[in-house]
Amino acid sequence: MMASRLPAPAGVLIDRSKPITFNFCGQDYTGFQGDTIASALAANGVGMLSRSFKYHRPRGLMTAAGQDANTLVQIGDEPNVLADLRAIEAGLAITAQNVFGSLANDYANVLDGLGRFLPVGFYYKTFFRPKGAWRYWEKLIRALAGLGKVDVGAHHGYYDKQYLFCDVAVVGGGAAGLAAAQAAAAAGADVILIEENVRLGGALNYARFDVEGRRGRGLRADLVPRIEADQNIRVLTGAFANGWFADHWIPVIQGNRMYKLRAGAVVIASGSYEQPLVFRNNDLPGVMFSSAAQRLIKLYGVKPGTRAVVATANADGYGAALDLLDAGVDVACIADLRPQRGDGPLADAVRDRGVPIVQGATVSEAIPQKGNLGIEAARVAKITGQGTTADVDDRFGCDLIVTAVGYNPTANLIHHAGGTFVYNDDTAMFELTALPQGMQAAGSVNGSFDIDAVIEDGGKGGWSAARNAGCKVGPMPTVRNDRGAFGVNHPWPIFPHPKGRDFIDFDEDLQVHDILDAIAEGYDDVELMKRFSTCGMGPSQGRHSSLNSVRLTARATGRSVTDTGTTTSRPPYAAETFGVLAGRSFEPERKTAMHHRHLELGARMMPAGQWWRPEYYGPPERRSLSIREEAAVVREAVGIIDVSTLGGLEVCGPDAAEFLNRVYTFAYAKQPVGRARYLLMTDQHGVIIDDGVACRLHDHHFYVTATTSGVGGVYQHMLFWNAQWRLQVNITNATASWCGVNLAGPKARDVLAAVCTDVDLSSAAFPYMAVREGTIAGVPARIIRIGFVGELGYEIHAPASQGEALWDALMVAGEPHGIRPFGIEAQRLLRLEKGHIIIGQDTDGLTNAIEAEMAWAISRNKPYFVGKRALAIQEKNGIKRKLVGFTLGNPADPAPKESHLVIRDGEITGRTTSVNYSYALGRTIGLAYVATDQAEPGTAFQIRIEKGRMIDAVVTKPPFYDPDGRRQEL
Amino acid sequence: MKILNCPLNGPRNISEFVWGGEVKEHPALDCTDEQWVDYAVLENNTAGVVREWWYHVPTAYWIIAERNTVTDEIIRTYPARELFKDRVEFPAPAVKP
Amino acid sequence: MAVQPATLNRRSFVYRELAALGATFREVNGCAVAATLAAGRAAEIAAARDLGLADLSGLRRGGYKGWTALDWLRGQGVAIGENNMTLKQGDGSRVARLADSEAMILGDLAGGSALLDRVEAGWSITGALGAYPVPRPETNFWFAIAGRHSDTMLAKICGVDLRPHRFPDGAVAQTSVARMSAIIIRHDLGATLGYDMIADSAAASYMWTSLQDAMDEFGGRPVGLDAIVALAAETGPA
Repeated sequence: MMASRLPAPAGVLIDRSKPITFNFCGQDYTGFQGDTIASALAANGVGMLSRSFKYHRPRGLMTAAGQDANTLVQIGDEPNVLADLRAIEAGLAITAQNVFGSLANDYANVLDGLGRFLPVGFYYKTFFRPKGAWRYWEKLIRALAGLGKVDVGAHHGYYDKQYLFCDVAVVGGGAAGLAAAQAAAAAGADVILIEENVRLGGALNYARFDVEGRRGRGLRADLVPRIEADQNIRVLTGAFANGWFADHWIPVIQGNRMYKLRAGAVVIASGSYEQPLVFRNNDLPGVMFSSAAQRLIKLYGVKPGTRAVVATANADGYGAALDLLDAGVDVACIADLRPQRGDGPLADAVRDRGVPIVQGATVSEAIPQKGNLGIEAARVAKITGQGTTADVDDRFGCDLIVTAVGYNPTANLIHHAGGTFVYNDDTAMFELTALPQGMQAAGSVNGSFDIDAVIEDGGKGGWSAARNAGCKVGPMPTVRNDRGAFGVNHPWPIFPHPKGRDFIDFDEDLQVHDILDAIAEGYDDVELMKRFSTCGMGPSQGRHSSLNSVRLTARATGRSVTDTGTTTSRPPYAAETFGVLAGRSFEPERKTAMHHRHLELGARMMPAGQWWRPEYYGPPERRSLSIREEAAVVREAVGIIDVSTLGGLEVCGPDAAEFLNRVYTFAYAKQPVGRARYLLMTDQHGVIIDDGVACRLHDHHFYVTATTSGVGGVYQHMLFWNAQWRLQVNITNATASWCGVNLAGPKARDVLAAVCTDVDLSSAAFPYMAVREGTIAGVPARIIRIGFVGELGYEIHAPASQGEALWDALMVAGEPHGIRPFGIEAQRLLRLEKGHIIIGQDTDGLTNAIEAEMAWAISRNKPYFVGKRALAIQEKNGIKRKLVGFTLGNPADPAPKESHLVIRDGEITGRTTSVNYSYALGRTIGLAYVATDQAEPGTAFQIRIEKGRMIDAVVTKPPFYDPDGRRQEL
Repeated sequence: MKILNCPLNGPRNISEFVWGGEVKEHPALDCTDEQWVDYAVLENNTAGVVREWWYHVPTAYWIIAERNTVTDEIIRTYPARELFKDRVEFPAPAVKP
Repeated sequence: MAVQPATLNRRSFVYRELAALGATFREVNGCAVAATLAAGRAAEIAAARDLGLADLSGLRRGGYKGWTALDWLRGQGVAIGENNMTLKQGDGSRVARLADSEAMILGDLAGGSALLDRVEAGWSITGALGAYPVPRPETNFWFAIAGRHSDTMLAKICGVDLRPHRFPDGAVAQTSVARMSAIIIRHDLGATLGYDMIADSAAASYMWTSLQDAMDEFGGRPVGLDAIVALAAETGPA
């Protein structure tokens, strides 16, 4: 049924030639392209959209602008969709939320009758006795009180982000925003105009400014085409400026994209929220704001009802009444809350059309239809005092109650930026009193209500913003003194009813007495009242409850509204999804030059920081066997491991050695060219932060390696110190430029000799801890004889672009010797057999070089190195723990895991850091921190393993394997 | 997001930078242990204008910023060399400890 | 003459991605460079006017860093501009000043750089005290992004304002792109808007993928070097 559709010009957003059929709660409905779900349903006579959060009361359209929680529906796996914002699409299947049974017949609405058992703050005081009761109640309450349903299996949508830049950002595309954008652009500013609705113009699209009803349309037709034609203005519609952050950084959400907008200056022309009239049953479907009724008519061509009662305290209610009359709605009565007749042409016009007007009266109660599904009638009573009405009333049959009692500024972004608002008792409004630097406000958010004043205000805001953004501007525009703020807000539109259901907060089902009860319990500060009662904490974030709850708090505590203040608004302005926040979620990945070779060889790759490294080669079910085989090949023949991820730094200059002396613990001044030396880096606290090898390639040149995850910090650390020392040294992070492999095992020399002919590889010419530059199968390389795994080994570094060729050449050369690639797991086992520590695994954020038994790597003759003094102080004060090797007292015991505790007499004295089973040695070996008096080799200590079991361990001096180091020096 | 004005790269999102702590004067090598601990461990937490190290990650560039820790206003940024003009030497101590 | 990438020791960091796009490679500096992709030269030229991505990693580039680097380079006849600006050199190379102590040299689109040849031949570690080479060809990939949508596309992954009226030809931004440090240089190709992107070679394939994802909404796509060369040969704006 499309009977309630009005003819054009009503319905500027809909295209009547394009019907669209969708489904709501199992029934098909047809609307037009441009309809929202709610407008299409309203056109079909469906007024009820949801059930309320707590009492499951029927709820319907209230703002028609996506500002309230009444219209939240579920679409497939997407919960909490605002039905008065989301456009209909063909085939859309929409369901109601928070409903048991059906929307029209919700079993849970029995809760509406049990309200007195669900007092304010009931979460905090009910269900907690007897002890443990909450566990039972929690399930039930969560089931009853939830909003939409989250589908944990929902597919990942595509979301992304984009940076935007402009001189002036204008938030809000109503009359003020349009004027601001135009003024700023005229001054040469690069402008972005952000409007949350799909159509520019704001109230110009729906409000009634004149008796004839032509003014808004005319102004819009004048302003909008100029904006759209202006090359300096970019317009974003359907876009939410969702917060303000430092230096005019504004997240703007449009569909699945978040724009990260950086503006030079900002104009907030966000308008204001119409405020509710509080009376009994003011939440029923059919009670709506004047702006909502006008939006339905003007934007969607939908007749909001058949017979209406209008309660108003300003001219906008009369404008709405005229629009209702024009739409063919019978206006039964106007209840004007003001004691004296409101003058002005709109009121006169309504009177002239024969509508009865009751002055000094309000709607005091809505009489519900059966089941609260809508309105049957309105009671209109004379106002006798602040919030009180006469006992006698008139009853008007109607299906629509329209209210117009004032506005509250849409001040969110101004609050985010630190602006302040103070209540003005004369206007009964919060008024802007202080604006942050570089921000302007214009239009009704700035207290301008007269449409001409609004446009002037916008022009001035745009002018100021352009000036703030550094544009050349003309003389400052003027704004009339009377901006029309008087006679807009009623000071007390709250009429409590003895039987309640006089809602202050619709999201949270809070009634007048709930707010008063919260205050009576002592929560008399608005911030406390808000948190205890949850007023303003629902999806609409206090848009319609903040002002009235502050008024109530003020009166109940005997303070003025100004003194009572208001709660703080924080981002986000509108609800935002995690998908939008996550965006494309960039996760940088680094791959070595041999990455694809590893994959081809069946490697299981594991992340190491941003890098991918082979954990082991082979299928997961052969994991431990593969690791064992890989380790055995290194010990018995030859293995090859990709070490490209190691950090590589070129340290050059006449002071290179002096610099290394200062940032590392060892001595480098006399290190000969062609030799490599261990590097240990400590910080100013003596804590180990990295290790590596320094290869001296020239008096002025060291090639320094660092750990995979540490190199970024090492580079930063080096630059930090040399920014202060000013040594003649240049440091370049060349990590990505060098790929590397470690060729290790008794056959390593034979393999290398087959492909490297320009370096004498003999032990005499190229001994352990030497470094050479040469060529391997045509690839230039730096070759270092070091042995992390304790075998004859060559660490070969080559240009990254040639890494694959290097790998291939070595694999071919190694084939006759049974070469196998080995992964990180085998390497960890092999190095543990040698007792070599891994920074970050065997050290933590507090490990100093002495307790890690690295004193051998500290040169005490140097006047200075970073950490030297700290180590001296710690040694003087006494070292508390030592890192030791251990084996198990009973080899049959299960192996401890890493970080299992060392316990003595019930006290923790340390923990294990590395544990593995050595096939080469036939036993479990490990490293652990123990108390210093437990560190002597041969000392027995106990480790608590899983399930609290204690096992015996014995301190064993590493290396466990080849203690004399003969194999690596072959 | 806040903007920090890099002396080399101009105004940039502060996410491009890493904070490096307050600029502190390195004590003489023969200072007392207490003086050393004060330098290396204790922070002043000044409420007011402080000089801080900031590191621009994409250019690996350490700079100094003067920032008001109360208002979070960045007052001035400049290259570290404006503060650290000369080569620092650590002569060997005259007497062996 | 067409060549297969794996027959040469030196390989682009994204040669597999290019091969999968049907690339025809030719040898430049001992490296296989994708001259054209499956679409062919004419289609790629047309595509790159809107939005194209090409791998230039095989082309010549280098750099020097150190407390005397700029002076030493000037002594070698290199023209150096302001920080974060690029100057075109007589031989077609471009020199980007990255700091008071560093400059980067980008060779021409044919893969040569007479300037780099000369500078590298003139360098020694003690002869150029305080000026040390930066291994740009290995540390960094080099991509070209071309076309009228380039700046908007880059705004999806980069927080610096790269719009043409704010970021002139030759300007350099050393910043974060898709959460990786990168150097972006405005480099118009004839009359076509263009940018170089130079960043961590180990992340080349990550960035290649990220860029293609960002390009999708504009219909952007990878193109061969020939399309970039052809656009560069067109007459630029007066």
